[in-house]
Amino acid sequence: MIAVLRAEWLKLRTTTIPWLLTGIAVIITGLLILLYFVNKGGGGPRDRTNFGPPTPDIPHTTQQLRDLLGTGVGIYVFALLLGVLIITVEFRHKTVTTSFLTTPHRTRFVAGKVLIAALTGAVLGVIVLLATLLGGGITLAAKGGSFSSLANQLGAVAPGLILVYALMAVLGVGVGSLLTNQVAAIVVVLGWFLILENIIGGIWHGTVKWLPSGAASAAANVSTGRQNIGLFNWWQGSLLILVYGLVFAALGSFLLARRDIT
Amino acid sequence: MQGLRSGMPSAIEVHGLGKRFGPVRAVDDLSFEVAQGRVTGFLGPNGSGKTTTLRMLLGLVSISEGTATIGGKRYADLEHPIRHVGAALEATSFHPTRRAEDHLKSVALAGGVPLSRVTETLETVGLTDVARRRVGKFSLGMRQRLQLATALLGDPDILILDEPANGLDPQGIQWLRSFIRNQAALGHAVLVSSHLLAEVEETVDDIVIISEGKLVLQTTLADLASQAGSGTGMRIRTPEITRLAEALNAVPVAWRQIAPDTLVIDGATPEWFGPFAAEHRIVLYELVQEKGSLEDVFLQLTTGFDAPRPVDPAPGGPA
Repeated sequence: MIAVLRAEWLKLRTTTIPWLLTGIAVIITGLLILLYFVNKGGGGPRDRTNFGPPTPDIPHTTQQLRDLLGTGVGIYVFALLLGVLIITVEFRHKTVTTSFLTTPHRTRFVAGKVLIAALTGAVLGVIVLLATLLGGGITLAAKGGSFSSLANQLGAVAPGLILVYALMAVLGVGVGSLLTNQVAAIVVVLGWFLILENIIGGIWHGTVKWLPSGAASAAANVSTGRQNIGLFNWWQGSLLILVYGLVFAALGSFLLARRDIT
Repeated sequence: MQGLRSGMPSAIEVHGLGKRFGPVRAVDDLSFEVAQGRVTGFLGPNGSGKTTTLRMLLGLVSISEGTATIGGKRYADLEHPIRHVGAALEATSFHPTRRAEDHLKSVALAGGVPLSRVTETLETVGLTDVARRRVGKFSLGMRQRLQLATALLGDPDILILDEPANGLDPQGIQWLRSFIRNQAALGHAVLVSSHLLAEVEETVDDIVIISEGKLVLQTTLADLASQAGSGTGMRIRTPEITRLAEALNAVPVAWRQIAPDTLVIDGATPEWFGPFAAEHRIVLYELVQEKGSLEDVFLQLTTGFDAPRPVDPAPGGPA
């Protein structure tokens, strides 16, 4: 299994995709932090429903600091895309022929992708988290707060965020194993997470906790700005994403096992 | 099971193999064997089912009927298959930004092959100098060589090469021939497909010819050559064609006129015809021995079929 992971890591780092995704994720993180402070720290860009008492210029409550540090949870779609690309790149460039010759058991092939996705997804989570800590912390310090107040929240935010990134990458592999056409898979994933999920959650509030984004918020233990609709706790949310990912991956493996590679 | 001709054990056995793509029967009741230590040419026109057969053998395409085994096992049942079978299927299956060396390393890691083989195979195929170059910048010929290096990585006993000469320059084809002969000399079995007999004529020992997904003939190159030889004849140009025709009608030979002053006698040799003409005092302008080529036999065997046809004579024609 170590050898499979080494092979998959080598394949992954010799493509441009993970580097590109990581770069974009860091840039978007920076923009979100900027937006947060432009918003005067009123709970962050995610909290548009906060019409309560006037907020101070800089985040200082525990929840505000955690929400700032957890900015990356809102863009877990990058982890998802990473997972999608990890598997669909094989079909796009037809390297899947060589992969299946080397590993004829296609379920084992998907399992290798799931594992490398979980690992690299977690790494992406760490990078986004560090970017948030640096960008947010330095801005905070410059505005009269303290870097350490943000850093102190790492213990509360990091495990959930890293877990969400790992699980979302697994879910991405699941989707990609079903929809092996790279462009189609990306369109479906972006369409679902940027549009459809918001519509569904907006119409039927009760579904939110079952949706991947609701589960991600629960898993990372950040506020969504829609506290009243009720989310699972962190492990229930994590389990839900994992189940989604594995169900898709199992379905994908089942179909792949019967597919002719011509 | 023993190979039919060579007396060596069969490396590859295909029995009653069939593949249906919807209404199209791409491969139909195909049986043949590939012997260890010999090079087998897998021949047929484009679209005759060669690639589908090889992909069924390698577990990439599901089998509709029959069996295709390697050393008695299905490909998917082989432990670390690339250590037993090396396959080079198509020159396009590389990620363009990956370096040649990294491609081989990733295959070696996943296939349970020591990384030292990467350098060795790169050297074997002559790509050492471009090992650190991205495959996207490779020429078609270099990709073919990298495919061969991939196939050789596990130091397999059996090589399966699908149209390996495609895209190679004459120098590359020469190199490929000696490479394949070397593999056979090492005792390995090589199955090499081609749509041109001439391309593999100098390389192969045995020949499997298919057309429309069906076996036309499994034979040795020597047997095929003697079949071609039986097509030998004499072409004779003479001003006295009528007299020659009369003389020939008196002896048991087959002949046909192909021009007002020229005829062809099947199976004749100059040693027989020279004295025959002298005896009948016939003036000759031209006397040429004609040899049927292997390619003629091949074309004769496979002629007329370019693509598999639907089982039913349904409208729409071949898919």
